[in-house]
Amino acid sequence: MGRRQSSVTTFVMGRTLGLLVCTHCRATVRATGHSHATCPRCGASVHDRKPHSVATTGALLVSAALLYVPANLLPVMHMHTFFSDEDDTIMSGVVSLLHEGSWPLALLVFLASIVVPLLKLIAMGWLLVTVVRRSPGHALQRSKLFRLVEFIGRWSMLDVYAIALLVALVQIRSLAIIHVGVGALAFGAVVVLTMLAAQSFDERLLWDIRSDD
Amino acid sequence: MRLETDTSSVIVCHACDLVHRLDAIADKARVRCIRCQAELYRTNSASVDTAIALAVSALVLLLLSNAYPLVELQLNGSNRATTLVGAALGLYSQGYALIAALVLLTTVLIPLFQIVSLLYVLLPLRMNRRAPGQNELFRTLTHLRPWAMSEVFMLGAVVALVKLAAMAQVIPGVALFSYGMLMLTLSALTSVTPTEQFWRWVEGSRA
Repeated sequence: MGRRQSSVTTFVMGRTLGLLVCTHCRATVRATGHSHATCPRCGASVHDRKPHSVATTGALLVSAALLYVPANLLPVMHMHTFFSDEDDTIMSGVVSLLHEGSWPLALLVFLASIVVPLLKLIAMGWLLVTVVRRSPGHALQRSKLFRLVEFIGRWSMLDVYAIALLVALVQIRSLAIIHVGVGALAFGAVVVLTMLAAQSFDERLLWDIRSDD
Repeated sequence: MRLETDTSSVIVCHACDLVHRLDAIADKARVRCIRCQAELYRTNSASVDTAIALAVSALVLLLLSNAYPLVELQLNGSNRATTLVGAALGLYSQGYALIAALVLLTTVLIPLFQIVSLLYVLLPLRMNRRAPGQNELFRTLTHLRPWAMSEVFMLGAVVALVKLAAMAQVIPGVALFSYGMLMLTLSALTSVTPTEQFWRWVEGSRA
């Protein structure tokens, strides 16, 4: 695949030239007014920056952070067998995978279910703080951090699918039955909310402060 | 307010708002922003036909994945099998409608919507026609991409199988294999229909 770099002489912002980029189809369009505008190529509304990006992302992030606590403390599954009644949290699920001898899988679930959501909350929170405090610098690193968060977010759904399959299959009366726990609901909500938070964040805010100087 | 397209020679980076001057968009290229390294656009030499072929295969695989059981469990003479929809219904019957909806949407309904609407847009495009609502549809598709999670589901299924194997005998079903194939087909489909490529097909058909 051919790879080129486009040529620039000085760093000029689209904003200063009155050029907008459609966040839906990525067409570059020339703004001729101020209020509501639609993209001539795909018909989406075009904004200079995503409207209320900081407030929306912040609200979604705070909700996700609150739900992260029950998601990790409350059981995601209850298992009733002939001999025992067990509650499984996300963490005890990781530990039981470890006992079953599949440490690569235990590590994978630990990363996807515990580390990734926490990393997303911390990283997105920090990015928001830098935007609100208008701190310049490290724009490239912050941008790359954001893209990492955006990319890995969906992998946290892994545990939700595992729970769904376990619940559907282990329904053998008098031997073993698995029920969903309320923690799974909180956990699913954390994944969805953090994904929405990343989607509503406008990456250009990370670069604006620098270019204003 | 009225806007004019200005894509001929200038591209604004969607990630950092930097203006780039471009000579011509090559047929097979990946261009990155010089400042923030975001991908400005990616085009490939794949044809509409390739995309249609992949979408049809994906549709067949998705139907197969839902017609056959994913996994069968054998424990002390009793056995139990489940399909993908069955797994979602199991969550629903235990009172967790929201998780059931999340599972059903991300593994079945959103991929199905992606495949069907791509076919709906690409088939007329192949005959130089425009399907009504194609722009809105393609815009929605771009937004839905992160929410189709077939590859995440496959990993989740592996985790569930390993946990089950510790307590019972587990027999992988036809749907597990076809869903694995679906995952590969969908990622190929996504890579031959990058956003910029689609709009180039649309603009090419108008000429």
